[in-house]
Amino acid sequence: MKFEPRLPRDDVNVSRTHPLRETAQLVAGVTLLTGAFVVAAFLAVELGVRFLPASWEQRIFSGWTEGLDEADARTEPVQDLVNRLAAHWPENPYDLRVVILEDETPNAFAAPGGSILVTSGLLDAAESENELAFVLSHEVGHFRGRDHLRALGRGLVLQVAVQTAIASSAANLPALITDLASRSFGREQEQSADAFGLGLVQAEYGHVSGAENFFERLPDARADFGDELGAWFATHPVTEGRIEELADLTRRNGWQDEAPLRPLHLSP
Amino acid sequence: MEPWIEPAIRLGFPLALLAVTYFIGSTVERRHQHNLRQRELRSRNLPALTFATPPADWRIEDSALVTGSVVISIDYFKRFLAGLRGLFGGRIASYESLLDRARREALLRLKESAFEGGYRAVVNVRLETSRLASSTRRGEGTSGVEVLAFGTALKLPRV
Repeated sequence: MKFEPRLPRDDVNVSRTHPLRETAQLVAGVTLLTGAFVVAAFLAVELGVRFLPASWEQRIFSGWTEGLDEADARTEPVQDLVNRLAAHWPENPYDLRVVILEDETPNAFAAPGGSILVTSGLLDAAESENELAFVLSHEVGHFRGRDHLRALGRGLVLQVAVQTAIASSAANLPALITDLASRSFGREQEQSADAFGLGLVQAEYGHVSGAENFFERLPDARADFGDELGAWFATHPVTEGRIEELADLTRRNGWQDEAPLRPLHLSP
Repeated sequence: MEPWIEPAIRLGFPLALLAVTYFIGSTVERRHQHNLRQRELRSRNLPALTFATPPADWRIEDSALVTGSVVISIDYFKRFLAGLRGLFGGRIASYESLLDRARREALLRLKESAFEGGYRAVVNVRLETSRLASSTRRGEGTSGVEVLAFGTALKLPRV
């Protein structure tokens, strides 16, 4: 038998696609698919937010905050304050319930089902009833806009979408993208909740003095606590623009903003 | 700290790593392919065949087991690309070129080992692949792949 020396072929077992071209195609595909899914799911969330009656919402999410309640003695006075404020919102379909969380970071959240979560750090930091009233009214404003449901829905959608799309890649992108998105989509809702909240404060006290005190004090607090306050800023961006917006609103409505503040009595 | 710095670092680091590993990986790959071609040219006169038994007219003076083995790992960029490919399916081109290099390298090492031993041909050549489990993820991941070529080297009289 004859042996003819030949070179092995080096082009059969390898696809000749340029890796960068392949990357571009795949990334574009993933982005398109994820984008389409997110848009469709956001529309579904929006539909849910519009058409889910508050009574259903409360039934679905009853027990959502169970176990969080720390039986704080300050729950009752804060609940009273919320009740007084919410009385100025006659169409309120929610049975608003205050839950105090043991946490040093000053923060407040509107949770699905009508719970207003308030950290003990927020109560410690409050210097007058008026400024606490504004923070609480702002959260009530989120219920009116049903932002809590929207945030929950969108958060879930983004998490699922991003984790599915990039789960296989080595980069730690999922957390980052959900994080960024949940920071940015709140702005408009925050503004509308601010405006509604300020209206409630005006209705309750006859003036809006002291309402923005939290915002004005927080930049100093940030210097003291460092990253402790990061969470609050992430979801409630305190910007010059936001304080100006409040002042503007006060001016346009001819509300009084110079008046003696009511001291805060939370201890029984 | 400006609010954009942290996300920029968290996004920028993996992207920079992708870019760097792409350039290093593709340079290494190009050089290796060039090197393989040169060595394939040099060793083309030593046949490595898959016959289980040599042709009857070969006068065999001696025989021995020869092996050539190579252990390879994928780089960060190839892993990323393969991960994306895993969503849609299809050929994982970034692994194809890698495994092709590994097979050729293993065969060349087999031939080189036979040549150094004074053998003139290798028959019954087989290729085997095994996965090296990753120690970091309790054996669930793959840290590398071994390609092993083995066969029977034969000493033949000069013609």
